[in-house]
Amino acid sequence: MQCLRPLRHSGWDESKRPHAYHGTLLLAIQIAQVELKNMGKASIVHGAQALETKVALLLHVEPENPKCFAEGMWDLTCFWEEDEKRAGSADQYSFIYTYQNENSSECAVTALPAAGGKRLYFCRFSQTQLFVPLDIRVFQDGLLIHNRSLFVELVFLLDPPANLTVTSTGKQGQLKASWLPPSLKYMSDSMMYEVSYAMAGSHIGKVEEVQASSELILRGLQSGTKYKVRIRVKLDGISYSGYWSAWTDPVLMETMPGDLDPLIVSLSLIIALVLTLLSLIVLMSHSRFLLKNIWPIIPTPESKFQGLFTVYGGDFQEWLGHSTGGLWLRPAYFYSEEFPAPLEVLSEVSLGPALPPKASEALGEKGEEEEDEDKKLKRVDSALMEGWRETPQEHWLMDQLRAFHQHPAPRSQSSLLESHDAYVTLNAQNHSGEEPLDDILEETLPLQVLFASGRASSESRSDLGSLQQSSGSGRLSSQSSFEYPNHTWPPKGPGYTYMAVADSGVSMDYSPMSSSKIDDIGKGVIYTNEYKNEIPAHRRPIGTPIHFAF
Amino acid sequence: MSSISVVVLLLIVLQWAGRGLPSSVRPICDPRVLDRFIMEARDTETALRGCKAGCGVTGTFVVPLTNVDFVVWEKKDTGLQALEVQSGLSLFGQALGAVRESVSRAAVQILIDNNKSNIHSLGQVLRSLHIQDLSLPPAPAVGDSVTRKVSSLSELLRVHTNFLRGKVRLLLTNAPACQQNST
Repeated sequence: MQCLRPLRHSGWDESKRPHAYHGTLLLAIQIAQVELKNMGKASIVHGAQALETKVALLLHVEPENPKCFAEGMWDLTCFWEEDEKRAGSADQYSFIYTYQNENSSECAVTALPAAGGKRLYFCRFSQTQLFVPLDIRVFQDGLLIHNRSLFVELVFLLDPPANLTVTSTGKQGQLKASWLPPSLKYMSDSMMYEVSYAMAGSHIGKVEEVQASSELILRGLQSGTKYKVRIRVKLDGISYSGYWSAWTDPVLMETMPGDLDPLIVSLSLIIALVLTLLSLIVLMSHSRFLLKNIWPIIPTPESKFQGLFTVYGGDFQEWLGHSTGGLWLRPAYFYSEEFPAPLEVLSEVSLGPALPPKASEALGEKGEEEEDEDKKLKRVDSALMEGWRETPQEHWLMDQLRAFHQHPAPRSQSSLLESHDAYVTLNAQNHSGEEPLDDILEETLPLQVLFASGRASSESRSDLGSLQQSSGSGRLSSQSSFEYPNHTWPPKGPGYTYMAVADSGVSMDYSPMSSSKIDDIGKGVIYTNEYKNEIPAHRRPIGTPIHFAF
Repeated sequence: MSSISVVVLLLIVLQWAGRGLPSSVRPICDPRVLDRFIMEARDTETALRGCKAGCGVTGTFVVPLTNVDFVVWEKKDTGLQALEVQSGLSLFGQALGAVRESVSRAAVQILIDNNKSNIHSLGQVLRSLHIQDLSLPPAPAVGDSVTRKVSSLSELLRVHTNFLRGKVRLLLTNAPACQQNST
């Protein structure tokens, strides 16, 4: 059995179209006659055009001779080509065909001129038998020129499908091609179609195959472009086989115009939405900043003045008049100045009777009070301890004045105030080896430490300890100047170191005084700050000046 | 005793009913079923074409004629068509059985077995199309006009393929049971 493999037509080149045979009409008539004779059916539908194309087709694809094809279930057409020089008349040829296990039959040969100086010899016979081998022999003048064995059902060459229509499916980039299958009985489900489509004007097309169907949807096309579509048919090769038919005439159709691709539209909408949301978020987060710049807040002093606008309607005078406003001012006033020190260093000389009126009053008010020097000094201590406050200071002053009143002392020319002078001296028991207090004393040291009495320690000289020692070695003897109104300091002797303490509330100034100096100072009134000191149990006969000042 | 008799009666009734009823199998109208059989037969034929000395198969086999003249075929009654097909299938079954016994190579045996099973399946397909299976022995007497003899394995297989492609297929595709479904 021969295996017929039809070659595929490729491309859209029209150059290989068969030439127009001038004898085509004659051929058509002959074929019609033959058909009428053999079959008794009117098959003049076969146009000469169709025959020409088939012949041309087979001449390309079929290598064997004679080339035979079956157009339906009932006939077989065979032909062969001969050169002019070898060609003879049709009578010279005899076409003998034999089915298996049957007698031979002969077919009448007809000749037709072909292009290029060649001749075609045709033989067509009907009542073919399928599924049996068929032997064909061609003789020219008794000589066998062609020999071939074939199966008729394997050499089908059908007409192209009819009524090819291309319509739009209503969707983008799609076209629907529909056609009429060749009307062959028993073979409609064995037919295979090939649809070729290309853009109009282009030579490159795509091909799609479909089996046993009469329509096909072409997808993936460009919108708004014209496409040309054509189709051809072939039997699938399982039961029946054959060659590819000729292409139908191309049918032009335009795809739907390109809409806005819904995908693109939706994507752009989504992007716009996302951008809008982002901008809104940014605006919200920076709203304060923006509002400040675009709509700045006018600053109002309401926060500082409570109730000024709400209660008094902006009337400042009224608002001031009420206490809530006044209190507010005081702290500011307070803090603007530094805390007034209750006592200040004043260096004045001889105030005389210029006693502060308060002090004189105080003196007069208080009754007699017997107070030791200790008590006085202790009060000094307490006053000192509590800090620099006016009121205790005043009390102490008043007491002192009272005491002075009680103890009438010979007045000197110096004032009462002068008599209030008190000097503190550091008595050193062993005044040998006494070190000047300058070294030891520091402003920040509490006086209590300084004047710790009765402490005899031989500690090393640390800051406080040294002071202690130094102070311990000595005794504090302090005497109020009240007792010595005459301001004559009885000099204690060369062993005593006199110290003048001047305290301005910020720092204390200790300066050793000589006795002579004391005398000098005693003449004046020196006001110094208080400081506390421990008073020795017994008083020293030598007056200890205590400086104090307001 | 009475129960046994009832059971026996029931069985008889059922068998009678079953015999008369057509097979409840749905008609197999898909042409791809037969196409597969045809392709397998063709593959067997191609594979054993190069078999030397006929693969050791000797003897003659009776095979049906495969030629189809459409004009003649169409005029035939469906029953006669079915008869031709079924008798031919049975002949092929017998021939392939004989071949199977005389073949020694395992590969050849497998192919032959496959074709034999396909013939059996075709019988089932025909039955599904309500075509009575007349291939069972005793086969009705078919004249020599519809058979011939072959002497080689390759020829046998070729005839077998042609038979399937031709008559069997025509019968199946034009079975009345399938005509309502097909367009």
